[in-house]
Amino acid sequence: MAAHSDSGRTTEQIVSQFLSKALHAILAARIPYIHGPTPPPSRHPRKRDRWFHLALGDPPPALEHPSGLIPNGVMEPLVVDILLSPRDDPTMPEAIVERWVAQCEAPAPWSPLHSPAETSSNSFLVKRTYKKSIILLRSIYSVLRLLPAQRVFKMLCASNQSYNHDLTYRVSSFAEPFSRKEEAEFQYHCFAPVETQSGQLAVSVQYRPSLSQFNLEISSLLPPMLITDYVGSPAADPMRAFPSSPSERTGTRSSTSFPLRGSQHGQPSTSAPASAPVFFNRPHSWTGGPSEVPSNRAQHPNHPPTGSYRKPAFNFDEFKFSPPFYMSPTPSPPKFSGSYMQSPLRSETAPVSIPQSGSSKVKVLRSPNLSDPTRNFLPPPSPRSARTTDPSSQDSDSRSFRRPDGLRTSDGYSNMYGTPKGLKDGRDDSGRFSLSGSPRFTFSRSSSRISVPDDLDDPDFSYPFAVDDVDSSDSQARSNDGKEVSDFGHASSSHKSQDAAVGVLVHMLRTAAPLRDSTYSSQSSKSELQEEGLGSTSSFFMSRKASDALEELQSYKSIKEMLLSQSKGKLH
Amino acid sequence: MNCETCQLKELELDPAEIRDVLRCVLHTIFFHRALGLVRPKDVDCELFEITYVQCGDAELEKKIDEKIEQFVAWSEKHPNRKSQVCLSFYEVKSKQSSWFGIKVERQHWEHWIVNVNVHPIHPPKSSFLNTREKVLEETSTRRSALETSVREVLFQIIKFANEKQEHIPPITNSEVVSFPYEITTPSSSESQFGWNKDVIKRILHSGHPYSLS
Repeated sequence: MAAHSDSGRTTEQIVSQFLSKALHAILAARIPYIHGPTPPPSRHPRKRDRWFHLALGDPPPALEHPSGLIPNGVMEPLVVDILLSPRDDPTMPEAIVERWVAQCEAPAPWSPLHSPAETSSNSFLVKRTYKKSIILLRSIYSVLRLLPAQRVFKMLCASNQSYNHDLTYRVSSFAEPFSRKEEAEFQYHCFAPVETQSGQLAVSVQYRPSLSQFNLEISSLLPPMLITDYVGSPAADPMRAFPSSPSERTGTRSSTSFPLRGSQHGQPSTSAPASAPVFFNRPHSWTGGPSEVPSNRAQHPNHPPTGSYRKPAFNFDEFKFSPPFYMSPTPSPPKFSGSYMQSPLRSETAPVSIPQSGSSKVKVLRSPNLSDPTRNFLPPPSPRSARTTDPSSQDSDSRSFRRPDGLRTSDGYSNMYGTPKGLKDGRDDSGRFSLSGSPRFTFSRSSSRISVPDDLDDPDFSYPFAVDDVDSSDSQARSNDGKEVSDFGHASSSHKSQDAAVGVLVHMLRTAAPLRDSTYSSQSSKSELQEEGLGSTSSFFMSRKASDALEELQSYKSIKEMLLSQSKGKLH
Repeated sequence: MNCETCQLKELELDPAEIRDVLRCVLHTIFFHRALGLVRPKDVDCELFEITYVQCGDAELEKKIDEKIEQFVAWSEKHPNRKSQVCLSFYEVKSKQSSWFGIKVERQHWEHWIVNVNVHPIHPPKSSFLNTREKVLEETSTRRSALETSVREVLFQIIKFANEKQEHIPPITNSEVVSFPYEITTPSSSESQFGWNKDVIKRILHSGHPYSLS
């Protein structure tokens, strides 16, 4: 009797392990990412793998405790429904595409298994049971690959497209009978039963021979995904502007290889190694018997069900059986890590913190957009250019940059990065010198370093297009020999739009003293008359004027060359 | 000990389809008879939408591929002929030393006979009646029919492997392929009548009369 009870317990253990392993094989072949986003790594077979000599890897957390599957004993049937659930249309009901039923049926009274047998035959029976169970499990594993649902599973696993259906499952101990119409749509395959001391272990499957009626196709609703090559990204075009607002961003669907793709084949053939586990949401249910309320919730995997087997034994909320790239139901872009490629944001593209003027020694060189052949450095006059010098305006920050169209900006670098919208708005008069809405000036620090005269390298050098020079009085501009140069230097430290700069230049040119004015002419005439007497004085006066003018001209020329070279560098 | 023989349904193959079909069939048989610890590996057929399972044993794959290549070479020399590839499992009964060395007696307990009819399938010559699309359609139809036949053969293997188990000897080693085997192809026997004579002789000597199914 003891031997019989031992063999009975062994048989029960075999059946229990068989049911667990069969369920593992079924779910692994039908539910994408049953193990989560990362496939279990290949490793030395564990004790669990040695059961039935079939190494399937680590089971899902739900199957960690096989006893939880059959709390009422091995005689309880195990019914696994594989469902095809429409994703986009919640009104459409989910359809069962496969139903697997594994059950240990009690032996008939006339069966030799019904009566206790001798010890030797018990041992022999146990061994035979185990051997046959091995082959039966192999057959289940093979048939899973031959049924039509396998194709759907491969499509959902392998493709990075989003389909309009999901594969879900339902495990219960009661099989809801099909209607007569449904029954006609299914084909039936029954495996040869395995005789055990507890009865006959029988496995069968009902499956739809064709799934074409479900119109499995790529869903039009794109799930949220992180796009790396959006317009303006460093990956797409380093020289392209970074959009100012998310609404301006346009992204194309990139074929980013999501590293979170798992493989049910034991080999990550289509998946990339992933370091960040991401779980998917997929509805599932463990339905119970007629007396149990179907539940769509799942318990924590570490808490096996204490009561009925119907209660979910694990938390399947973590497992979201969706196509690979469907990360979360929320529209917010998922956060990736690990192998997900993200090129580091360059300082030129990212909205950097704008240092206050005077604290930064960075020379910001603006380059106008010279791609337009019709562009010239003399845009149409702006209203501001006609404004007379206003001493009060000179009190504004020396680095403030007033745009010709009247746009005001704050001081320092904020003018450069702030209000790119304003930049666009301010291009009415100087559209030829657009900045493309980018607060980023690539020519600033990284690439196109343009050789500028040493004067411009001087921190005190005022950028010639500085707005503050626009309203500076002509007398001030002319009275100080190096003042303008220093003003240019200041302006270089706080930039402003190109068009505003050009406007300033125009203004300066217009307000600059003529090289040959009446005073000069009179002086020149005087110098001619007093040439012999006051030759030195007049010549000095003339040279002073000329020197200033020449100096200005030189500086303008250098600026022009710098801008041209920068634009050429940009074009290339 | 009984020797069970499973005659699989005949498959009409184009020479280009031999490798894919034979790999699929032979590996499926081994998956059901290699009762050692296996880490299954899913393999997709190249020409068909069929996924079959391999045992994940590199040495086994190599041996199967070698035998398939032998068969392919033979079929190229003997086109348009029906032939068979036989997979047999046996037990080593005894080893007897003789004048010529050690004679190993093998007792076969199972034969799997894969019947193939290899003949090049020429598409109909294009004429003003046969458009290119029609040719492709016919080829696709034939390929689809062959795929259905291969599936039937695979289900036949699974059915036989599940129903006939009593004759399987006990597992004595921990290798993946727990039983010694041999794969016989027509190239192994250059008799005028092909190797069928050898297979039948083997069956008659080792098998039960009723095992011929």
